[in-house]
Amino acid sequence: MLQRFLDPATLASISGLDLIAKTVVDGFVAGLHRSPDFGFSQEFAEYRAYSQGDDLRHVDWNVFARTDKCFLKRYRGETNSQLLILLDTSASMSYGSQPVHKLDYARFVAASLCYMAHGQRDAAGLIIFDEDVANYVAPSTRQGQLFRLLHAIEEAKVGTHTDFTKPFVHFQNFLHRRGIVVVLSDFYEQPETIIRTVEPLRYKGNEVILFHVLDPQEIKPKFREPVLLVDMENAREAMEVSPEYARNQYRKRIGQHIDELSSKARAAGLDYFLMDTGRPLDEGLREYLAVRKGRF
Amino acid sequence: MGFFTPWFLAGTVAVGLPIWLHLLRKHRTNPLPFSSLMFFEQHIQSSIKHRRLRYLLLFALRTALILLLVLAFAQPYIRRNILPTGRTGEVAVLAIDNSLSMRAGDRFERARREARATIGGLHPGERAQVLAFGQRVQAMGEVTDDHSALNAAVESIQLSDTKSSFAELTRAVRSIANSLHLPLRLHVYSDMQQSGLPANFNDLRLNADVRLETHPLETKETPNFAVENVVAPRRVYENGKTRVLATVASFGAPKASRTVSLELNGRTIETKQVEVPESGRASVEFLSLDVPYGRNKGDVKIDSADSLAADDTFYFSVERADPRRALFVREAGNDAALGYFKTALEASGQSAFAIDPATVDQTANLNPAKYAFVVLSDVSSLPGTFENELRTYVRNGGSVLIALGRNAAVSNQVPVSDARVEAARYSGREGAMFQSAAWLDTSHPSIQNDNRWDDVKFYRAIRINPGSARVVARLTDQTPLVIDQQLGDGHVMVFASTFDNIDNDFPVHPAFVPFIEQTARYLGRLDSGPSSVLVGAFGELRDSKEVGAAVDVVDPRGERVLSLAEATKAQNIQFEESGFYDIRRPNGRNELVAVNADRRESDLTPASADTLTLWQNTANGTGGSDPNAANGPAGATNAPMSVWWYVMLVVLALAVAESVLGNHHLSVDKEAA
Repeated sequence: MLQRFLDPATLASISGLDLIAKTVVDGFVAGLHRSPDFGFSQEFAEYRAYSQGDDLRHVDWNVFARTDKCFLKRYRGETNSQLLILLDTSASMSYGSQPVHKLDYARFVAASLCYMAHGQRDAAGLIIFDEDVANYVAPSTRQGQLFRLLHAIEEAKVGTHTDFTKPFVHFQNFLHRRGIVVVLSDFYEQPETIIRTVEPLRYKGNEVILFHVLDPQEIKPKFREPVLLVDMENAREAMEVSPEYARNQYRKRIGQHIDELSSKARAAGLDYFLMDTGRPLDEGLREYLAVRKGRF
Repeated sequence: MGFFTPWFLAGTVAVGLPIWLHLLRKHRTNPLPFSSLMFFEQHIQSSIKHRRLRYLLLFALRTALILLLVLAFAQPYIRRNILPTGRTGEVAVLAIDNSLSMRAGDRFERARREARATIGGLHPGERAQVLAFGQRVQAMGEVTDDHSALNAAVESIQLSDTKSSFAELTRAVRSIANSLHLPLRLHVYSDMQQSGLPANFNDLRLNADVRLETHPLETKETPNFAVENVVAPRRVYENGKTRVLATVASFGAPKASRTVSLELNGRTIETKQVEVPESGRASVEFLSLDVPYGRNKGDVKIDSADSLAADDTFYFSVERADPRRALFVREAGNDAALGYFKTALEASGQSAFAIDPATVDQTANLNPAKYAFVVLSDVSSLPGTFENELRTYVRNGGSVLIALGRNAAVSNQVPVSDARVEAARYSGREGAMFQSAAWLDTSHPSIQNDNRWDDVKFYRAIRINPGSARVVARLTDQTPLVIDQQLGDGHVMVFASTFDNIDNDFPVHPAFVPFIEQTARYLGRLDSGPSSVLVGAFGELRDSKEVGAAVDVVDPRGERVLSLAEATKAQNIQFEESGFYDIRRPNGRNELVAVNADRRESDLTPASADTLTLWQNTANGTGGSDPNAANGPAGATNAPMSVWWYVMLVVLALAVAESVLGNHHLSVDKEAA
């Protein structure tokens, strides 16, 4: 039932981005409670016999009353992590054959991650970029940070073409603390270039997640007849494409690109996740949480 | 090339549909924004070219499909040269004439010799059939490629006395062609008599796949003399000399003197010389024939000294018998009718009947069964026993002629037939108050040879209701004058007036004698047929009362024609040979039938070459022996051949190709949709 609310088409009908994020995360978390495998801070971890010097605040007095022995109740430690989201707003991100185009989908994901991080009191930040950095919200846990993030996401405009070099250099300048870096992009660039640009972040101890946002029509294009395709990032570039080519050679090439990017990312210690805009958002959130859990 | 139904070519406008669909309809290609073209390459243009090529191929297929479909409906044909040797499965049909004219000289033997030569020239495996034709066509064997069987079939053909009929041969060949469904090559071995050709040339029309090759045995006219006809009485009733008239004909022969002999039962009665003009006829009259009692075989012969001896003798049969008795019943004192009736009967020449007069009172003890027929001339009433005898007599096949006058009007009922008298019409002799015969049924035997009753005046007529009886004559006021009523196996004829020259003037009118004679022959069941019949004619063997009784027929060679089973069942027989057929019936009504060949066979004039060419041209497959018909190489004929079937095959192949190609396009569409 709740899965229905994670459907991109359903979310698109919700006007406010904060409400979208809340709907996604709450629905997603509610779904998690059914799973015994997941849990995070403020959770009970174990009992341990009291030893001298331990803080008496952690003694479980109920157990002491029943057994006359002191046991300490241990919890998973509350941690604060830093989440930085890099949202690609290049022109290619505005493509969409579905009701929700790629940029909207990426917005939903970014908003949901911000909402989730805010709930966990993680410091969340945002960089919106295309060929340059368009907007930057520094990671923080201050009051009103969530609304700043959501506002920045809401205000993100479609830019020109993608250039990973500039925003990542910029990001490295601002990054002083280790954390989780989420890159939301369609990665229309050679995999070597992408990995070469992103890989330095990993050296500084960051967990980097590449969310490869693609439209179903980009993965498996289907045309009724030959079409004249115009590059959205370069309007002067156009090409007539036959359905047969789109059905055969193109699929093979995009598949090779995805496989290559995925394998090179994993080889570089980066997490890679292909986000199909035709599929629900929870898969992206699940990936994020898996990474965050593994981090602690 | 041409078209059988060219108006269907108007359907070519339908080609506009694929032209509009493929070429004229604008395929607008709106630019479609796509996120990136980094995975598309320029060399994909070739696939688009391929696709366009296929698109054009589909267009061409659809256009060709429509054009060929229109072409198929227009039924195109091409003119094709048919070579004589190019026909596969051709069956040779060897038709040998065995008619009477083939008896002349060695014609028949030459025909068989040429047929055997043709059989010897057949290719191995080439099939043939042998036919014999005269008036009828007889298949002498099956269609076979066995030369020995074909030669045996040729040898088994016997000469006949029938008349040749090329129309009958043509009909049989058409039937063979239709049943075999194979091309035929017809060889005709005949003297090609002009007289064998039908009056309507269309009867010689051959099928398109029949080629005719004639083998004329004679090309010029052969002189011939023949006894064309003999007129002799079939029955003689009186003692004395009988007249026989013979006609001798010359066919293509110069003026010559011929000796004509009359023979009776093999004995020459009289011989005469006659001058026969060139290609003309001469008559010979014999007055010396004294016919003995019984059935006699007569013939007239000439010494023709020509090649065809079979037509030099003309057979006739003549029978000598006593006249049959007929009973004439009248009221006492009314002898006028008897006198007129008897005189009329005797005036007809050979009197087959002798009248036994009797008054009404004398009939009480008479048995009508011994009379050929009975006449009741205006009688008022008959003795009851005699009337009962008459009824039985009629039911058993006897005949009664009843004349009605004033006495019949008084009795108010017609004797024997029980018909009611409705009225007596009387017209006075003064002025023009008479009636005349307004309508005659000339098909009735009693008046079929003389129907000139226009001047006969009828003053009194008794009107009776004919009921279901056949009305033979009517007066001007539609009163039935002559009525023929069937009662049992016999007949009752009613004449609604008298024979006494009082109620009418019929007895003094020339039409009276033939009427009385023919009526007497009809009622007395006296067959007055000719003294001879033609070969091919049929003779009746029995009537409905003679079922199961054996009839013996002996042909001119002295052999029995019918088997034992046929002798008890056969209703008639066809006379196939010239000569005398002796028919012996169980009721003693024996008959000697003289049969003569059709004298048209005596005219040995062959058909002209133009006529034979025309006959050959009735078949499209002709040309083998006709130089005029050949306009192609080596006798080939130029015949239209429909190619509709081949066009439809191409249409089918194109439809399949279009379906496959179109389905290929549609399969892309389905996934894209």
